[in-house]
Amino acid sequence: MEKNKWHAFLFLLPSIFFFVVFSYWPLLQNLYLSFFSWNMVSPNMTFVGIENYTAVLGSEELIKILANTVVFVAIMLVLNFVLPYLFSFVLGHLIERGKGFYRSTLFMPATLSLAVASILFLWIYNPLAGPLSIVLSWFDLESPRWFKENWLVIFAICTIIGWKVFGYNLIVMLAAMLAVPKEMIEAAKLENASNWQIFKQIIVPMTSSTAIYVFTITVVFGLQYVLVPVNMLTQGGPDQGSSNLVYIIYQYAFVFFQTGKSAAFAIITMICYIAFLLFRTKYLEKKVYYEN
Amino acid sequence: MNFKKKIAGVLLATMCAALFAGCGGDTKSADTASGKKVQIEYWHVASESFGGQTVKELVKDFNEKHPDIEVVEKYNPDMYKGLTQNLQAAIASGKNPDVVQMGWSFLNYAAENLKYQDINQSFESAKDPNFLKDNFLPNVLALAQTDDGKQIGVPYSISVPVLYYNPEIFKAAGLDPANPPKTWDEVKAAAKQIKDNTGNMGFFMQEYADNWTQQAIIESNGGSMLKKENGKTLAGFDTPEAAEAYQLLADMVQEGTGLHATNEEGFQAYLSGKLGMVCTTIGKRANFEKSAKFEVMAAPFPKFEGKELKVPAGGNFLMIFSNDDAKKAAAVEFIKYLESPEALLKWSTGTGYLPPRKGVENDPNGFKKLVDTNKNVQVALSLMPNLVPWASFPGANGLQAEQLLIDARDIILSGKESAAQALHETAEKINSLM
Repeated sequence: MEKNKWHAFLFLLPSIFFFVVFSYWPLLQNLYLSFFSWNMVSPNMTFVGIENYTAVLGSEELIKILANTVVFVAIMLVLNFVLPYLFSFVLGHLIERGKGFYRSTLFMPATLSLAVASILFLWIYNPLAGPLSIVLSWFDLESPRWFKENWLVIFAICTIIGWKVFGYNLIVMLAAMLAVPKEMIEAAKLENASNWQIFKQIIVPMTSSTAIYVFTITVVFGLQYVLVPVNMLTQGGPDQGSSNLVYIIYQYAFVFFQTGKSAAFAIITMICYIAFLLFRTKYLEKKVYYEN
Repeated sequence: MNFKKKIAGVLLATMCAALFAGCGGDTKSADTASGKKVQIEYWHVASESFGGQTVKELVKDFNEKHPDIEVVEKYNPDMYKGLTQNLQAAIASGKNPDVVQMGWSFLNYAAENLKYQDINQSFESAKDPNFLKDNFLPNVLALAQTDDGKQIGVPYSISVPVLYYNPEIFKAAGLDPANPPKTWDEVKAAAKQIKDNTGNMGFFMQEYADNWTQQAIIESNGGSMLKKENGKTLAGFDTPEAAEAYQLLADMVQEGTGLHATNEEGFQAYLSGKLGMVCTTIGKRANFEKSAKFEVMAAPFPKFEGKELKVPAGGNFLMIFSNDDAKKAAAVEFIKYLESPEALLKWSTGTGYLPPRKGVENDPNGFKKLVDTNKNVQVALSLMPNLVPWASFPGANGLQAEQLLIDARDIILSGKESAAQALHETAEKINSLM
């Protein structure tokens, strides 16, 4: 038994090593930085105690940034979690023809980089020359200034993320849908169950373990993906209308060179993530069905 | 069992090797001066797509002409911000570069934080004390001076804001392309005429993550970005002049004749022929001329009737950081080469920047060829006497102050608040940071 443990530890060692070096050590370093005022190049770091935290928590922008972040998450959950969920059910159990076509077409954008997607959508949303504005003009509508209006800008950016992430999430959900035994559904159909009943009574419980995985990555990765289009297209604008917990960390560190405040924001963000994951484990995980 | 152990061992070893491989091998010494040859380093921010090839060409040419000096060029990614970080680290470890490109908006930072060589003294010890005075306009030289008048570098690359327009839209709207708007009132009227007669959008002013063109319009109306009070630099734009200039832009947007969009959207709209006028840097000239299907024409940055035109300079200047006399002399020699008419012509063609020296545009071996063939370059050159320094907020919160002013731009142009109110609130916020 003792020997086995030793072996297990040996095999874990490489990943522990990388975790410590690339995740936990930077985390501690970040905590350390959050107590200093420093511009990243100066040889002098000034210890300021919890001043960075009081400044960040007392600032007007915090409310706006938290609200934006919540809106980002809500829209992304619709585009990248709810929609793939429904689509995968349709693809997996309702339609017979053209499955392969839909699957590959919808997955394709996932292979492109977000930077490319951002540039593409910048063109699509162009209020004067973009294709969307041309379509709107057919109906005598004027294109809104997508990237310059509060809230609308968040929606526009979420569609970019959605365009990239939708396909991947769909494939993952589809795999779970197809793993649901056909016999079960056939049996339900014999009993005259409607599609909605099948979805609710059989599909949702049977795919819950995958669904919670997709739910989690939608929130956790989604917020990180947001950095690319925000940094490329809006720099947090208009008037911080598209700023969020992840971008503000970047902005304070690499645009304003105020590492202390940036680190304080990073710690606050981490606390938010921890809260989210605790909620997930405590409340959602219980309802999940794991086959093995 | 034994086999598994071996595999694990091998795996671990490869991982560690891969990890540390990146850390070694960076010990290329700069001091391999064989014989009397002086080696100096030239740090620049010219990426491959923006003048990088030209830098290599210039350095090669210089090295061939000067057998006793060898210049080594080093590209610094992430523009002046990245260069400044590398520079600070290099100076801390005593491995100073010799000639360095520094951005105008980093002037205060460089003067306050870096140990540089006095430029006038460097040229004096190279027995050419009048080089700067003889070859540069006083207002251009002043661009590379600190507040107290100390010359910390030699002006090198200059860009100015101009008004690009689409002559086809002008014609369709009944405007004369040979006679573009000269004042802001004319711009406003022209934008309206374009909208009314062609349905196209009239005007767009660049919305980069800086306030460069906004400074130009505010200061041309007699306003200012900064003011000094008891030795402290404060926001100076909470004035009727600044508000009036900014409100003019906002009014165009409200009337539907001006565009408020991200920078790239504005440029796309202009290049695809949906927008009449764009106010942005001459640095975009080559790119615009290449991408547009119509003839891109430029006019000088518009004025306010009866007021002096002031345009901030973009680009960079050269600083010397050598730490011994032989290198310092070589650095001066290299700067003199870079500022020669032939070298400036190459640099200008490769980047779109304007030459900082006076008289270069008439030099038959130099800039004259480009000027004669391109009217847009002439327009930009005509703005040289109107150059003023690019205002930058000093201190640790300076860059954040800049961002607050960018946020104010969104508030004003979207019509959420009047220019006067938004500028007043922003000035108060910035002053509390200073």
